[in-house]
Amino acid sequence: MPNHFLGVEGASVSFGKREAQVRALRGVSQFFERGTLSLVMGPSGSGKTTLLSLLGCLLSPDEGTVFIDGVAVNGLSETEKTVVRQKKISFVFQAFRLFHSLSAIDNVALGFELRDAALPGRMEMARDLLVRFGLGDKLSQEPNELSPGEKQRVAIARALAGNPPILLADEPTASLDAQAGRNICQILRNQVDDDGRTVVVVTHDPRWQEFADHTITLCDGQVEQVEKNL
Amino acid sequence: MKLAWQNIVHDRARFSVTVLGVSFAVFLMVFQGSLLVGFLRAASRLIDASDSDLWITARGVQAFEFGTPIEGRVREMAAGVPGVLETSRVCMAFSVYRTPNGKQQVVALVGADRNVGERFPVPDVSGSPEGMSPDAVLYDVSDRDLIQVTAMPAEVEVNRHRARIERVINGYGAFLGVPFLFTSYRNASRFMGVGPEEGMFVLLRVDKGYSTSDVQRSLRQRFPEVEVLTRDEFARKSRSYWTIKTGAGGAILTAAVLGFLIGLVVVSQTIYANTMENIEEYATLKALGASQAFVARIVLTQALICGAVGSILGLLTVVPCIGYAKSLIPWIYTPWWLLLVMVVPSLAMCSLASIASVRSALTVEPGRVFRA
Ligand SMILES: Nc1ncnc2c1ncn2[C@@H]1O[C@H](COP(=O)(O)OP(=O)(O)OP(=O)(O)O)[C@@H](O)[C@H]1O
Ligand SMILES: [Mg+2]
Repeated sequence: MPNHFLGVEGASVSFGKREAQVRALRGVSQFFERGTLSLVMGPSGSGKTTLLSLLGCLLSPDEGTVFIDGVAVNGLSETEKTVVRQKKISFVFQAFRLFHSLSAIDNVALGFELRDAALPGRMEMARDLLVRFGLGDKLSQEPNELSPGEKQRVAIARALAGNPPILLADEPTASLDAQAGRNICQILRNQVDDDGRTVVVVTHDPRWQEFADHTITLCDGQVEQVEKNL
Repeated sequence: MKLAWQNIVHDRARFSVTVLGVSFAVFLMVFQGSLLVGFLRAASRLIDASDSDLWITARGVQAFEFGTPIEGRVREMAAGVPGVLETSRVCMAFSVYRTPNGKQQVVALVGADRNVGERFPVPDVSGSPEGMSPDAVLYDVSDRDLIQVTAMPAEVEVNRHRARIERVINGYGAFLGVPFLFTSYRNASRFMGVGPEEGMFVLLRVDKGYSTSDVQRSLRQRFPEVEVLTRDEFARKSRSYWTIKTGAGGAILTAAVLGFLIGLVVVSQTIYANTMENIEEYATLKALGASQAFVARIVLTQALICGAVGSILGLLTVVPCIGYAKSLIPWIYTPWWLLLVMVVPSLAMCSLASIASVRSALTVEPGRVFRA
């Protein structure tokens, strides 16, 4: 029996009604160990994003159970789920989803504020994080003044603000060139090695293989294969 | 909170469009409201200006402007009814006016006894230092162009009788497009060719020791052939006649109601669109663990800033515009409460529309954040 830190058990999700119904996940059971980086791969429409939405407490399965930090979150109210996201989970998106009107440092500071509004010294901590990601000279730039690679680093800094144990990323390098992509892979790997976070990355990008502990391949809403990377 | 402000500062063009939308709505609502309020006020203006408690009119009289004759002895008999303290007379008739240079013009001639009320425009001999003659004729400053008097006193003709225009007053301008002329009751009945055996409106003041409705009831029993109304009843009758039973008033009423509704729709549309513009960011906020309250606070702050700035801008433009419109529409009128009554629902609509837009977008599907 794998540990139930993060994962789904017998999870099914469908979208739409009657004839138009799409079964995005069909009874998937898959767990992710604490302190690992796992890849979720598979063809388009295989249910990767749907799985990530379950793990991120953004979607409830029609059937089955979702475990986050060892707790089944199925029965929780919308408010309680918000708290779970706030305390435990952070996201990195393909499209970055930075707040367009805020500077880099304000984006990260808002990440801290969302985790803990009473926390003092947000700006200092935000600056430290950005400096760590080599953005010390871009603190007051707005997102549209940054390159894609820089944007994604700001987004990761925002995601790490407040120190969440779980990081979920959907195609984080799909919008980046090779150089910037490798940089992001390394940053996320460091989160596992240095801080013991649990990272799940949905990707089509084979470059990730060398940074990951496991690769889960989905096909047609089911787990096709689980590999342990060397 | 910084996000709310930054969004506004950052997207100035968008903010301006939103503010413009709200200010247009407030402008429309206040302007149309002022037309309606002014029209209603003008429709009962002279009735409200009297100090009387009761008005006696002929049966079937719908408005001050369309009074018909009653018997003159009604007044003497009413004066003897217990509780009646004082009586006065008012008459009004459309008359032919000839300007000093001989041009002819229809006017609404109003005659009243001096004791009809402090505010009622009647030649006031005692209160006039330059000595106004008891048969002086007054007209309103807004009817200057129609009356065509350059210097006063001016010798003119009313119904082929000689008359002297001695004074200009303010606030009793034409409402039917026909200017008012005011003079004493005696003088007016002479111009109209009406003797003491005939009257039009008899106004009564009720003694403090009596209840107005008791006196009204006994007058009704005593004079079944006329109408006995309290001043407010007659004012209301006159207003509802003009607004509901005439096409012009109906149009103003409809325009005001539509203006109000359109204003609210424009406000909600504008604010809704403004909120939807950033909906993706609100979804991100929610995904990152922001509570409903946190998102609502940001959205509301933004909407209320837009609403407040838009309202202020709308008020700042509508007030001078109404001032200017006064020269064309003398009876237009903006009481201060109207500004409040229009701004409060606008701000409420801002809040509602913004909350509705966020709710509908965020409750449907939080998973949207992963879509590129
Ligand atoms: N909100 C939704 N409404 C309707 N159908 C949906 C919705 N979200 C996903 N689907 C459908 O569910 C299936 C799985 O979608 P999902 O986004 O999980 O796939 P994916 O593996 O992430 O694909 P991609 O690699 O293209 O991102 C698809 O057929 C998709 O069309
Ligand atoms: Mg996907």
